[in-house]
Amino acid sequence: MVTKTEETQLNQLENQVENGGGGVWEYLCLVRKLKVRRSEIVLKHGLSILNDSGKRSALGPDEWTLYEQVAIAAMDCQSLGVAQNCIKALQKKFPESKRVGKLEALLLEAKGMWEEAEKAYSSLLEDNPLDQVIHKRKVAMAKAQGKPSLAIEHLNKYLEVFMADHDAWRELAEIYVSLQMYKQAAFCYEELILTQPTLPLYHLAYADVLYTMGGLENLIAARKYYAATIDLTGGKSTRALLGICLCGSAIAQLSKGRNKEDKDMAAPELQSLAATALEREYKQKAPAKLNLLTSALRNLKIS
Amino acid sequence: MAEDLVLDTAIRDWVLIPLSVVMVLIGILRYFVSKLMRSSPTPDAKMVKEGQVVIRARNLKAGANFIPPKSFRARRFYFSNEENGLLHVPKDQAQNPQAQMFSDPNMAMDMMKKNLSMIIPQTLTFAWVNFFFSGFVAAKIPFPLTQRFRSMLQNGIDLSTVDVSYVSSRSWYFLNLFGLRGLFSLILGDENAIDDTQRMMQMGGFGFDASKSLSAEKDGLDIIQHEWALPRFEHRAESVLKKLVR
Repeated sequence: MVTKTEETQLNQLENQVENGGGGVWEYLCLVRKLKVRRSEIVLKHGLSILNDSGKRSALGPDEWTLYEQVAIAAMDCQSLGVAQNCIKALQKKFPESKRVGKLEALLLEAKGMWEEAEKAYSSLLEDNPLDQVIHKRKVAMAKAQGKPSLAIEHLNKYLEVFMADHDAWRELAEIYVSLQMYKQAAFCYEELILTQPTLPLYHLAYADVLYTMGGLENLIAARKYYAATIDLTGGKSTRALLGICLCGSAIAQLSKGRNKEDKDMAAPELQSLAATALEREYKQKAPAKLNLLTSALRNLKIS
Repeated sequence: MAEDLVLDTAIRDWVLIPLSVVMVLIGILRYFVSKLMRSSPTPDAKMVKEGQVVIRARNLKAGANFIPPKSFRARRFYFSNEENGLLHVPKDQAQNPQAQMFSDPNMAMDMMKKNLSMIIPQTLTFAWVNFFFSGFVAAKIPFPLTQRFRSMLQNGIDLSTVDVSYVSSRSWYFLNLFGLRGLFSLILGDENAIDDTQRMMQMGGFGFDASKSLSAEKDGLDIIQHEWALPRFEHRAESVLKKLVR
């Protein structure tokens, strides 16, 4: 996670670097430390250091770290020639290194030579079967080739061991949603809510999945999670407000003819409040589209 | 009585200062030797998985009220059922770390390397100090102390008449051994400081017993009362929206 102060520091340095104010090395170090993705700038300025042999040798042993950083940034920007040169320099210096081996496999992947990359990753995995980065690369490769089911397979294998890795859970959830496997996606989102119960993002996504699955029980649960999102965001989430309205009308339709006393079913006050909040927000931010909203709400028989 | 003991300045030049310098140099040397001998630990898949299971079970315990009751029950069963739950440790498998160490020669080897790099220089320096400087009074602290400090400061001198504020050479060696940690962390960087006291602690109860923490988590999960927190959120959302709309 990048904290606010770190972000402002980073942006400040970036500004300074972009305007030729020096501090390039500090900027590159900060990017590395925070693990942020600013590939274009890293490539531009990192390369200028590497091409200047005086500056390069002034770095001492850090020179090789810079080579690695620039290589990865170059692959991100599709400057494969630059990446190849960097990796070649690294290979000369560290002929047997696994870390360089990883970069080579990454380059193969960037070139789209899937089979070779797969082979390289597999041989790296044999040496260290618990390398998280390589496992994740394999998932990314499966995704890049348009094989989501293979990606799911890899992810499941990965999560069997590293089951506390919430980024992997999130990736898995998104793949499941894209394949319309909502039950599985719901499980993943539950797992995510467990790891960070105060993050409204996961509540919202979970509610979306529940609403999509349908069924009275799921709809009621979905409304609860939309409500949780509203509470956690202080009513700022438009999607959650709309979700409440949609859930409300869907529940009303499904529960027609059943006894209305069940107080779990209807929460009329919450609905109308959500609708008014929505109208207010539209009035403030997009008055031109207010008509669309009111007609949509009328169709849902709310306001 | 205390006034008539005058220490020769040669003792300062040939005992006190050399002893400290030698201790520092040996500490640095030991750091580099242990760095050379250190093999990068290859994590064991089972150990990693057990650690991750514990984290996930802890998350479940902490966030239990945020997921629907059905999901919670399914997860609890997955973690703690008696047949193949993740947290369930079969009785016979719960081997003690001692046995585990013998079954894994790598671990024993690691321990030995660590201990060798610690014990050998220590015994050598101790023998050296004992041989050359035994019975020396090497320094005097500028303030008086009570009798209780005698065993700490006058190790190796069995005279009850000497004032406690005099430090024997062997005690000076011990003071250096334990007191130089701060200096090492200055010289070698924070993490690299050789921490003798901590190492000794590790030797006492080495190894972390995964099965214990697993069963502790299991007990914690078993006694949890699930109470879904989400119904309350509807009311809270209502009040939030009321404030917003008004």
